[in-house]
Amino acid sequence: MPNLPINIGSYLVNLCSALLLLTCFAIVAQRRLMACVDLFALQSVFLAVTATLVAYLTGIHHIYLAAVLTIAIKAMILPRILKKIVRQLNVQREVSMYVNIPTGLLICGALVILAFFITEPIVHLGFLLTQDSLAIALAIVLIGFFIMVSRLKAVTQVIGFLVIENGLFLAATAAAYGMPLIVELGIFFDVLVAGLIVGIYTHQIQEAFGSVDTSRMKALKE
Amino acid sequence: MTILLFLALLLAYACGMVLPLCFPGRPHIQNVIAHGSAAVAGGLGIVLGLVGLFASEPLVWFLPSSIPLLTFSLRLDSLSAFFVLTISLVGLAVSVFASGYVREFYGRIPVSLLGFLYNGFILSMLLVVTADNAFFFLIVWELMSLLSYFLVVSEHEKPDVRFAGLFYLIMTHVGTAFILMTFLMFYQETGSFAFESFRNADQSLPEGLRTLVFWTALIGFGTKAGIVPLHVWLPYAHPAAPSHVSALMSGVMIKTAIYGLLRMYFDFLGGPFPWWWGFVVLLVGTVSAVLGVMYALMEHDLKSLLAFHSVENIGIILMGIGTGMVFYAYDLPHLAALGIIAGLYHTLNHAVFKALLFMGAGSLLYATHTRNMEEYGGLLRRMPWTGLFFLIGAISISALPPTNGFVSEWLVFQGLFLSLELPSLFLKLMLPIAGALLALTGALALACFVKAFGISFLALPRSSHARKALEVPVPMRVGMGFLAGLCLVLGLGPAVVVPLLDRVSEPFVGISIAGRVFEMGGWTLAPVSGEFSSLSTPVLAIVLAGLTGLGWGLAYVLGGKGKTRFYKTWGCGLNVTARMEYTATGFVQPIKRVFSTIYQPTVKLETEFLEESHYFAKRRHFEFSIEPIFLKYLYHPILEFFSTLADRSRVIQGGNLSLYLAYIFGTLVFLLMVMG
Repeated sequence: MPNLPINIGSYLVNLCSALLLLTCFAIVAQRRLMACVDLFALQSVFLAVTATLVAYLTGIHHIYLAAVLTIAIKAMILPRILKKIVRQLNVQREVSMYVNIPTGLLICGALVILAFFITEPIVHLGFLLTQDSLAIALAIVLIGFFIMVSRLKAVTQVIGFLVIENGLFLAATAAAYGMPLIVELGIFFDVLVAGLIVGIYTHQIQEAFGSVDTSRMKALKE
Repeated sequence: MTILLFLALLLAYACGMVLPLCFPGRPHIQNVIAHGSAAVAGGLGIVLGLVGLFASEPLVWFLPSSIPLLTFSLRLDSLSAFFVLTISLVGLAVSVFASGYVREFYGRIPVSLLGFLYNGFILSMLLVVTADNAFFFLIVWELMSLLSYFLVVSEHEKPDVRFAGLFYLIMTHVGTAFILMTFLMFYQETGSFAFESFRNADQSLPEGLRTLVFWTALIGFGTKAGIVPLHVWLPYAHPAAPSHVSALMSGVMIKTAIYGLLRMYFDFLGGPFPWWWGFVVLLVGTVSAVLGVMYALMEHDLKSLLAFHSVENIGIILMGIGTGMVFYAYDLPHLAALGIIAGLYHTLNHAVFKALLFMGAGSLLYATHTRNMEEYGGLLRRMPWTGLFFLIGAISISALPPTNGFVSEWLVFQGLFLSLELPSLFLKLMLPIAGALLALTGALALACFVKAFGISFLALPRSSHARKALEVPVPMRVGMGFLAGLCLVLGLGPAVVVPLLDRVSEPFVGISIAGRVFEMGGWTLAPVSGEFSSLSTPVLAIVLAGLTGLGWGLAYVLGGKGKTRFYKTWGCGLNVTARMEYTATGFVQPIKRVFSTIYQPTVKLETEFLEESHYFAKRRHFEFSIEPIFLKYLYHPILEFFSTLADRSRVIQGGNLSLYLAYIFGTLVFLLMVMG
């Protein structure tokens, strides 16, 4: 066991998780696509820090590897792909949304409360130092989902998807000190492939509809 | 010993399924292997059926599986053995026939695939009637339905075949859904899917559930059997299939439903049931018999005509079984046994003569490439063997002595007229009415087959197809000849058949009547007593033969020496052509008029007159159709209801990505709130 006192370690983990959640709110509040991508990269860095902390505190080494991969894929490669797409499409701002930003933030607040309310009966049954992060992880998943629903542009929907993935990763770390390494590797690969596919998919939407506004896909309905 | 027999049977079908696939591009070898194996397996099946019928105890085989609730258990009691025998008899004949008939498909349809499906289909039917676990039963039942569907759509390049296949697929799955419900109700009560536990559950089922089981089983199996009004798929699917498959579907596949009903009502729900169950079955049977034959009369497509006759004959079988159920409910076991035996006898007979007739129709199709009766004519001279066998089948289905159809219908009549022994006045009135309707059915069937045989085989050829027709290859004739012989044997030998069937009904009604239905040393069949009624088909056959001989003799004596002079038929000085012949449409006009309430016919006659005078017609156009009542008033409204419902529910399909995501999101949050 490392020389940090256990409750300080716990506080640090909670702090990092909270920062993750904060970046979520920032994404919801942000209109500019480039900034959204940057915020997502920042969130991934926080995630990697959380994972490193957990690895350090528990001495489970394979979480280090997961943290390194998070930095490499989610904080570097994927943002680069996304920024390239944004530049190519020449779409810089999300002009219209289904829900305006203040309402969106209020809904996200409600979702966080919901997440804490739901996990409340389970959390105090746990004994891991990361147990409080579970509620935050669930909140991140819900907010990611909300981003996917409320935004129109394909790029922001992708970011929403990646935020969900981050939330799930945090949940896995929080609830069970991470998944087996092979599963984590598989998930990273999936995320990478998903990023690539989505890149092509947005391009196709642009080609077909002259916009990345997914609401135009209504035209596909017979 | 029997297990070896059964394994050999499985092996033969497996060979027929797999081996032809090893000879790609050699249709003749594929054909011989596939149908040869099926014929061998048919022979083994006959032996297995006989062994099962004579065994004192039911034979049971058991193979556990890793899937919960499913065991591959088979049980060969006398009821199963009877159906194994029926399927195998027909399977043997049809396989021989098919080895000739399939030549027609060389180069058009892969014969190996056809052989694979064909063997699998017969095997699945055998497993259906021997399965002893509801789960396993459903698997093989579904397999049977799907394989037959694939066989129906063999010629899928034709749109009407695809439609027929789809229609069949939907109807058969509706039926399967009801059967599934039936089994689930049993499962709920017994906690097991083994038939053994269903058997013991008969008394523990609450009364309401028993009634529900009665109805779901009737609808579920009735869909497969083709009872009115669930019969609508038969006249589409049976003609669309290749003829040897039609013979199997119409001859034996629909009989698996009769097996299911008997198993359900007498084996699982055994014990006293209310009299109205039997009455409902009888009613359904009577309606099916009368309407089936009526619609058959109006058909000029030979295979559709035969398909409607299957509806009729399923009706007759159910009349026999329904009578048996009524008697059983009133605790008259010897009469109940009589009813069941009549039903089973007709099951076997119908399998034999319907397969024969479908093979005959297949032969005509093979020779003329058309199913329309109006294009046949004069075929007896060109195809004498086919004509003879078809005639024997036609006599059988019209229930004329000395063939088998006569014997079983006679037994059904006996059951209906013995209603005098029932205590209920209502039934005393109703059963003889059913008997009268059965007599009407028989008469109309006779008219129908006078039409079918007369228009097809007699007079002059009505088209170039018929003029160029040639007799079919030997294997096809052998297949038909075997069943034609069987028609006569089953007609002459009730003294052998009835005791066998008695072994089937005995476990259900608890009494054997084999000893008391025969008089005069087994030569005469007398269900109750010689004074009430008795029948001896051998004697009848001798009398008939004697009378025919007498007629000929008298004609010879009185009419002078037989001097044969070949000359054209006298036509009042006109040249006789095929256009002057009685057509099938013309033949049924009187019947159409008499029963116009049922047929609701539409007749359209357009005449184009000469410009000079309105007394001379230049051209006439005649159109005639009958109203498809069930499709119009029952199926179309249902179809419309569902399409409207589907249209309405399309509202939620916004086509918007965010909307779909919102559905998922909303569901997630809702579930989290409710469950959390």
